[in-house]
Amino acid sequence: MPSKWRGSFKYITLLATLVQLGMGIWIYCNFKSGAAFGGINHEGQFQFMQKLPWINLDLGTMGKMQIDYFVGIDGISVTLLLMSSVVMVIAALASWEITSNLKGFFVLFLILDMAVIGVFCSLDFFLFYIFYELMLLPLYFLIGMWGGARREYAAIKFFLYTLFGSVFMLLVMIGLYLSVKDPVTGNHTFNIIQMMNPANYEQGSVFSILSHQTLFGIQARTVGFIILFIAFAIKVPVVPLHTWLPDAHVEAPTPVSIILAGILLKVGGYGIIRVCVSIFPDIASANAYWLGLLGIISILYGALNALAQKDLKRLIAYSSVSHMGFVLLGIASFTTEGISGAVMQMVSHGFLSTMLFFLVGVVYNRVHDRGINHFRGLATIMPKYTVFVMIAFFASLGLPGFSAFIAEAFSLVGAFKSPSVNGLLPYWMAVCGSLGILLGAAYFLWTLQRMFFGRLNLKGGSVWRIALTDLNLREKIALAPLAIIALVLGIMPSLVFDKINDSVLALVQFMHLK
Amino acid sequence: MNNFLQAIDTLTIKFALTAVLLPLLAFVFNFLLPGRKSKLAGWISTVAILFSAVLSVSVFAKVWNTGHVVHQQVIWFTISNTVVYAGVLLNNLSALMLLLVPVIALPVHIYSTAYMKHDGNLNRYFAYLSLFCFSMLALVVADNLVLFYAFWELVGFSSYLLVGFWFTRDKAVQANKKAFIMNRIGDIGLLTAIIILFTMFHTFDIEKLFGAGNLVSKSTTITAKVILTGHATTYSSSWILFANSGNTALPIIWQYIAFAGIFLAVAAKSAQFPLHTWLPDAMEGPTSVSALIHAATMVAAGVFLLARVYPLFNDTELTILAVIGCFTAFMAASIALTQTDLKRILAYSTISQLGYMVMAMGIGAYTSSLFHLVTHAFFKCLLFLVAGIVIHQMQHIKEDNQLDIDPQNINNMGGLRKKLPFTFIVAIIGGLALIGLPFTSGFLSKDSILIQSFQWTDGRSGVFKLVPIVALLTTWLTAFYVTRLIVKVFFGELRLLHIKPGIKLHLSDGNWQYKLPLAFLVIGCVFSLFSINPFLYEQAWIFKGFAANGGLERENVYHSLVPIGVNILSVLVMYAAYAVYVKRKANPFPQKGVLFNLSFNAWYFDAIYNQIIVKPVLVLSRFAFWFDRRVIDGFVNLLAKAGLTLAKLSAWTDRYIVDGFLHLLVEIVRIISSFFRVFQAGKVQYYLFSMLVIILALFILKIVI
Repeated sequence: MPSKWRGSFKYITLLATLVQLGMGIWIYCNFKSGAAFGGINHEGQFQFMQKLPWINLDLGTMGKMQIDYFVGIDGISVTLLLMSSVVMVIAALASWEITSNLKGFFVLFLILDMAVIGVFCSLDFFLFYIFYELMLLPLYFLIGMWGGARREYAAIKFFLYTLFGSVFMLLVMIGLYLSVKDPVTGNHTFNIIQMMNPANYEQGSVFSILSHQTLFGIQARTVGFIILFIAFAIKVPVVPLHTWLPDAHVEAPTPVSIILAGILLKVGGYGIIRVCVSIFPDIASANAYWLGLLGIISILYGALNALAQKDLKRLIAYSSVSHMGFVLLGIASFTTEGISGAVMQMVSHGFLSTMLFFLVGVVYNRVHDRGINHFRGLATIMPKYTVFVMIAFFASLGLPGFSAFIAEAFSLVGAFKSPSVNGLLPYWMAVCGSLGILLGAAYFLWTLQRMFFGRLNLKGGSVWRIALTDLNLREKIALAPLAIIALVLGIMPSLVFDKINDSVLALVQFMHLK
Repeated sequence: MNNFLQAIDTLTIKFALTAVLLPLLAFVFNFLLPGRKSKLAGWISTVAILFSAVLSVSVFAKVWNTGHVVHQQVIWFTISNTVVYAGVLLNNLSALMLLLVPVIALPVHIYSTAYMKHDGNLNRYFAYLSLFCFSMLALVVADNLVLFYAFWELVGFSSYLLVGFWFTRDKAVQANKKAFIMNRIGDIGLLTAIIILFTMFHTFDIEKLFGAGNLVSKSTTITAKVILTGHATTYSSSWILFANSGNTALPIIWQYIAFAGIFLAVAAKSAQFPLHTWLPDAMEGPTSVSALIHAATMVAAGVFLLARVYPLFNDTELTILAVIGCFTAFMAASIALTQTDLKRILAYSTISQLGYMVMAMGIGAYTSSLFHLVTHAFFKCLLFLVAGIVIHQMQHIKEDNQLDIDPQNINNMGGLRKKLPFTFIVAIIGGLALIGLPFTSGFLSKDSILIQSFQWTDGRSGVFKLVPIVALLTTWLTAFYVTRLIVKVFFGELRLLHIKPGIKLHLSDGNWQYKLPLAFLVIGCVFSLFSINPFLYEQAWIFKGFAANGGLERENVYHSLVPIGVNILSVLVMYAAYAVYVKRKANPFPQKGVLFNLSFNAWYFDAIYNQIIVKPVLVLSRFAFWFDRRVIDGFVNLLAKAGLTLAKLSAWTDRYIVDGFLHLLVEIVRIISSFFRVFQAGKVQYYLFSMLVIILALFILKIVI
């Protein structure tokens, strides 16, 4: 496209994301629910499925190499898919702030968009991995070229961190490929769903449940699980693998922060459910205690760190760590309530973190500063902005009526129920988790008090006073839907639960089958 | 017949729902109302609450004492195989509260239209006020614990908004933050309790959990070992429910933790020790808000919660409630003795009265507790509205004369009875009701609590006698601080005149928007609204509405002795206080000493909490961040550095060892080749010479070997 069309790039991108959103809504509306549509480990129960042979190398005596273009969605993916398309629209709207090298930015943006959607749909591990890796590259450049002062450091750190996880994932993937055979064709396969069925494992192969192979003196399946878990835990991020997140967020431009927090973190959580737990259910339930413990540590540690921040964006980044801890805790409980709560939390956090980062972007664009101590009494000059900030903050700290409350409450319910249902987590974990809710209130309210209330006092004096105008129409258009969605999901959580229930039930049933 | 009944029930539910939703409608309307200040906003909210009140009266009439629980629900959402319902539950308790809230809120709304009319953000004020009313009404009719929790927190949220209504004041925003966070502590307690109950009983339904034939009472605690089929859980002592659908058991400790969670919730919302410190600070909000939220309704939510989950508690837990309530009542009353801020005195008095209610719950005086809740709502709301008028007038004096005074300091007041005669009279009635003298409603409710507290100690060890005795002592303290307050505000001469003679005074009771609400509330302060007989609480109609009754028969001497003793001494204390303060001695009591300081500084709770909780948490958070930066990130960066060093090392190896080896090889070959090249010089003599040498060498070798 010639560069004289520079002005139209953002509109084209917005249009593309809007079309995508339209399709997302269509899929959501046509998504059938019912016990026959549980998905998880039944290929036939997935919807909007497409399976085309992609790479079929005839390897002579070794059989055929079978890689399919295999996509489909079940209850776990459909809500995340819709959430991602909404977030993408908002991110496109937030991209108005980008002024340099527009062509490159929007090209990378759309590649990223494609990769993300691909990850949520693929059911072939090879395809999944390709999309997964494809997300990294655009993000590296998006942070590295359009970011803040320390962008190179942040971009490299982000890239290496994630690559570190995914390289080992590749090994496990190949190991799985060599262990699993498609029962119909008799070929080795990358099909994730067939990897879930213990019967498909070849006798004596590395990851076979029956053969008890060991690697480095540890059960091979345990090693495989740990490696996959680490790969996704970096994305979630789980403490102590989280330190790329604050740096990446602080340096990234607003739209990239939005995508990072809104979608990328969910890829981690989604990966844990779809890949880690589903392929290695035996190992996952045996190590649920440690997963839960990591979840609790993330919740509390993230919240404490958030309390200590002086930079608004960094505060929100740490709050993400804390909120994503609930996802891990919910998953670790392996109860229906817990996993539903975890998925709900991912959806809810997708919207809320988008909103939060957008809001930070608003003030940063105006004065290029985000220090919490540098502002005071913003409510007097930016009342509408303050209203949105309050909605976002209170929704994030789990005020009932907003989506995060239901999500966190049911993650905790699941965690508490776990000992009496399946005996995986101890009772105290849920109690500790609820402390995170308390700390959440503390850091958000403290920020509100320091930045927005009180008498007007800005570090930049009257220059800032003029620069800090209230929200414009574009910003309102971006924020209002998010606020409404958060509210609607809080009042009618069935919008999410109706879609995911069958899949969650199928997953829990599948877990107990072993 | 059944259909007919159901139709009536549906109608009742519709009425109740409308009563609940009207304020929400007003909130939305006011929120969307353009501009910041319009008279319309106030009237919308007022009309909404008026209709709510009317509807709730009709609901009350239909539900009260019919012995019939109106309960309807719809599916809210399904989470996997757990169905969560949302519905309305109307029994005597909720009907009573449903009536009380709009009846108290209505006068406050009317009052607010005048009290707040000069404020620049009138629309916002009424929007918030309506939001509060909605949450509070919804809270009392909610039929399941998730909904209950949701509105429980929304009530706290609207209180947060209203306390921080004047958000440019630093004190106000600090107060609302503190209030919300302290309430959050209670919230997580409640959440934990709900989760425990759900795990135990697999339902959130309040009626199923605590209603007639409830699940909670079917559960028992046993100290034997329990092994449940399904998975092996062995507890040395258990809290167990034997049900048809399968037994569930938790270790016994979780029953107590559920109680502790609920207690935290109650302590936070109803400002009981140890979470009471937010309430005095919350007085930074507008006075009308303090009257409605922080005196009459929201703070009573904790007591309401106790009443809702009452069957859960065992004897030990009830005793804990009684002791804490009693202690809170005494502590707060002792603090109220020395405060100088008009609203803070009333706030501490509220804490103290709430302490009575919690204590009453603890000693099994369930109905008396609710009775006191109702009467207290009337007289405390009245007193706050009076305080609002007084503060407004002081504010006028301050503005008219450009004085630098605190309009809430009672040491500046005095002699207002001549200027504000109507306010003075209602204040006297409200004050007497608070003290609990005969012919007031406070007499009936407070004496019933005191009498039953004495009965409660019968058959218990002597230590428990402290509870009624301290409660008695507290009533005299109450008599003292109320008298001190009224005398300092209304009697004598205006203090300001001593400091600054010649200031102008334009004082008045205000128009009907001030007087009507006061007059309305006064009705609730006298006995006639509750009982025909002014002396016998046993005849109050509220007592006929609740099953969990005790002490209704005048079976023992306490029923006569306690009221007489209490009131005679109260009157004496009042006279003493009157005598002391009306003489207008500046400081009749020494303003120093350990006890005075203890009381004046509110037992140093704030300072202690700051030192042992707030600061350590902040230090911990800073440490966590340091840990994050230095240790975890340090480790990551170290890895990066190690990687770089390794890379450099391998580059060095590559250059000097691998490459070096190759170069060495090359060098060796070169040296060897150049050595041999020497022999290939192309001179025949040289070749001959070298052949000769070799042959000689061979011969020599042969000979030697």
